[in-house]
This record gives sequence, structure tokens and C-alpha cells, in this order.
Amino acid sequence: MAETLRLKPAAVSAPAVSQVTVLRVVIILTLLASWELLARSGWLYRDVVPSLFAISRAIFDLLSHGEYYFHLAVTAGEIGTALLIGGLAGLAVGILLGANRYLAKAFEPYLYYLGPTPKIIFFPIMIMWFGVGPGSKIALGTLSCFFPVALSAAAGMRGIDKVLIRVGKSFRASTWQMVTKVYLPAMRHPIINGVRLGLGVALIGTLLAETKLSNKGIGFLIINAYSTFDMPRMYAMLIVLFVLSIGANALVGRLGGLDGIKRV
Amino acid sequence: MLTPTKPTSQDATDDAILVVDNIVVRFETPEGPIVAVDDVSLKVKPGEFLSVIGPSGCGKSTLFNVVGGLLGHYNGKVSVAGETIAGPHQSIGMVFQEESTFPWRTVTDNVAFPLELTGMAKAQRIERARHFIALVGLDGFENRYPGELSGGMRQRVSLARTLASEPKILLMDEPFAALDEQTRLLLGDKVLQIQQQLKQTTLLITHNITEAVQMSDRIVVMTYRPGKVKRIVEIDLPRPRTSEIVGSEAFGRYVAQIWADLREEASRGMRDEEKHTLSHPKGGAS
Repeated sequence: MAETLRLKPAAVSAPAVSQVTVLRVVIILTLLASWELLARSGWLYRDVVPSLFAISRAIFDLLSHGEYYFHLAVTAGEIGTALLIGGLAGLAVGILLGANRYLAKAFEPYLYYLGPTPKIIFFPIMIMWFGVGPGSKIALGTLSCFFPVALSAAAGMRGIDKVLIRVGKSFRASTWQMVTKVYLPAMRHPIINGVRLGLGVALIGTLLAETKLSNKGIGFLIINAYSTFDMPRMYAMLIVLFVLSIGANALVGRLGGLDGIKRV
Repeated sequence: MLTPTKPTSQDATDDAILVVDNIVVRFETPEGPIVAVDDVSLKVKPGEFLSVIGPSGCGKSTLFNVVGGLLGHYNGKVSVAGETIAGPHQSIGMVFQEESTFPWRTVTDNVAFPLELTGMAKAQRIERARHFIALVGLDGFENRYPGELSGGMRQRVSLARTLASEPKILLMDEPFAALDEQTRLLLGDKVLQIQQQLKQTTLLITHNITEAVQMSDRIVVMTYRPGKVKRIVEIDLPRPRTSEIVGSEAFGRYVAQIWADLREEASRGMRDEEKHTLSHPKGGAS
């Protein structure tokens, strides 16, 4: 019954603000203070390190203009589509490789070699195939997130407790029922982890592609701000992007019920 | 009194619901073929509780997989009510030795799993699941996850799940092996009570003599490798039984008799494994 007890809220006796939280706030405040000091010192070339005030104003400017949201929507759409295509393809391939040892032996080494290769080297090909518009960005994002999802799905499939498969078979589940009611739910943790990694690299792939050659999207705006030497605007966009990525990652974790479902 | 019968003279009643006929299973290993199950035949009558007992390595789990339809390559025939099985059969419900609840499903959804596969409507299958949850004494835990339950409770969920598929034959492979002795006895009571209440035909695979004598109408004692039927013992103890029967004199005599048979096999198994370990120091006999 110890397990039942442990499931009760653990933070009852903990203080409202823990020491670690205090430390974290102190770290951030120190960083911000040093930044401001550096900005005002004049040691670096003007505007390379803009003051916090200038950055805050740039963030405000950015968020109060509709133009930014258009580009944000373009990039979000590209990443979302990439994650959808690459994720589903990765999942299908991963399940296939996880289920079939013969196929796994034949194909998995390639996945391991191609997985860590920077996908940006394929960008010229993607431009030739899909044009300079969102198509080539989606393609690069898809390519990026396919590998981590496929590899974690394959490993997850092999990690399924064998007895659960035998239970499904003993109740005469069809192949489709085995996939939807046993394999996928049993693999939910590795799949969610794969999708998180996939989201990360899809984000990188898409944005990187946008900074290389594009006419819309956040990557385009950032590189545009850089080439017009509008540093506060560039930093503003980086900060907003950073916050958005954290949010997206948290959302994927939450959607997958990583915290909701109790583990054995 | 004790009425041991010879394996050859099994009561050949034709009303048997489960017939296991001359099963032979061979496994290829790096050190050559092993005969795991050698010409085993059994008949289980409707409503009967039959146990198969034997030392580790007697092929009883292999037999479990053959009867459950999870093992393909064997010689011989298993038939249910006259129909030869090929693969898992709807009349046979399996309970596994290992932890086998789905951790992502609540108790209710675990028990409703086999009903869900047949496409039963949600309201109906939940109602049915609740009935079987109550039967194994887990009412009040319907919405809990297996991770919140004890090992004994999880094993009861597995039992309820299999019972929910309403199998003609309940097939169990050491379902209490991972539990402590007290839980095992109490759970045995529960199984006995349910079995007697449902008149559930049951085939139990076990290595535990107490468990076998406590529950069975007949006990099949198997030999160490190759696994053959050594003897079939009728357990003539009054029903309904509970775990209290463990203290009775007749019970003690049955246990002593079966142990005498098993001891010979178990020590042969031990010697064999020692020999194996000596000649293959690294491989070891698992």
C-alpha cells in the first residue's frame, strides 16, 4: 500500500518557494545584469550587445505588428506539416523495423548513419525539387524529424513487454487491434520522446532553411534583421522564438500524457 | 483414500471438453535438439479443475503455450469440444505467470479489453467488466491504474480480464508464482471460490504442491526433461474447499505422495543442471 501513499501530493510540507527556484532566479538576474553592464560599458561595438531597454522595446514593437504573426504562421505551418509527415512516416517505419528483425538488420544501420548527418546539406536538392517556397522548408523539416522518430519507435517496439503481446494474441486481437491497442500505447513513452526530439530538429531544419533562402517565415525575418543590422529586433525575435519553442516542447509532453499516466 | 492411477489408464470418458493428444515439442538449441514435451496426453472434463505439476524444465510452460495456441511447432493435437485448435481459441482463456496488466488502462478498461476486441458496445462492456471486477473482489478499484495496485491485486485484474472473455476453459500458468506465500494462499481461496461458483473448467500449470492439492480434482505429475506424464493423482477431498484444508490430515498425505514423485524428478533435474554447468562453465543452466 506504500505505492498508494506515495501518489498523494508530495509538496504539502515543502515551502512555497524552494531554494532551487531562488537560485534559478538569481542566475537569470545575474545574467541580465551582466548583459546590461556589457551593453553600457562600450567595450563592444555599438549595437552588438543592445541594452535590455532597447530589446524590450523591440519585443513590444514586434508583437504589436501583424506582419510578425503572418511570418510566425508560415513557420509554424511549415514545422507542423513537417512534424506530421515526418512523424507519421517515422512511426510507420519504426514499427515495421521494430517488428521485423530481418528488415531491421538490413535498414537500421542506414538510419543510424543518416540520423546524425546535418540535413541542411540536402537543402540545395530540396530547393531543386520543391522550390524556394515553404515546400523546401517542409521537406527539410520532414527529413530532420523522420530519423529520431523512426529510431525511437523501433527501439520502443522492441522494448514492449513480451507478455503484453502474448495477452493480445491470446485474446485473438487482429493485427490492427494489436497495433492500436497494444503496440502504440505500450510504446507511448519512447514515441513521445521521439516526437520531442523530432520537433527540436524539425524546428532547427526549418528555420535553418529559412535563413538560407526564403522570402517569408521567422528565419527570413531574423536574417533580414541581421543584414540590416537591426540588432535589438534580431534579439527580440530570438527571445520570442526561444519562448515559443519551450512552449511547443511542453505542449508535446503534455499532449502525450507523459505526466498524466502512471507507470508501473 | 489415495487413488493413484497409471498414466495409460486415464479415464477415457468421451465427455472431455479439452483433449490434449500425444503432444511432442522439440526445440533446437546450439547444443542439439531438446525434447521439451514428450508424448503428453490429457483429458479435462467439463467443470473439472486439473493441475499439471512438475519440476522446472519439465516443459509445463511449453505445454501451456501449446494448449493456449501460442506455440506453432509441435506434433500431436489439442482439441476443444471436438474441434482441433490452430492458434489461440476463443474457448480457452489464458492467465500468465508474468505481470500482464496493461499499465495504461484502468482496472475497468483492462478487464473490458477482450470485450472491446469483439466490438461490444462501451456501456455494455463496462457493465460486464464491473461484474467480473466484483467477482475477484476488486470493487472500489475500478478507476485505478495497475501501477497503483499491489502485485496480488494486479494478478486478480488479469484473472478478471480472462474471465470476462467467458472462456470454456481457464488456462493458468503459475499465476501466483511471483506472490508471497500468504497472498498466494488467499488468492488461491479466491480462485477456488470463483471456480466453484462458475463451475469453471480449469487447467492450472504449477510447481507448487500445496496450491495443486488445495484446488485440484486431479493432478498430473510430470517428469523432468523430457516432460512426460509420470502419474495422475485423483484428489478426493470434499468441496467446497478453502485454504483451511491445508491443515487436514488427508491433505498432508496427498502432498507427501506427490512430493515423493516430484522429488525424484526435481533431484534428477538438479543433477542434470549441475552437470550442464560443469561442462559449460560460461553458458550456465538458466
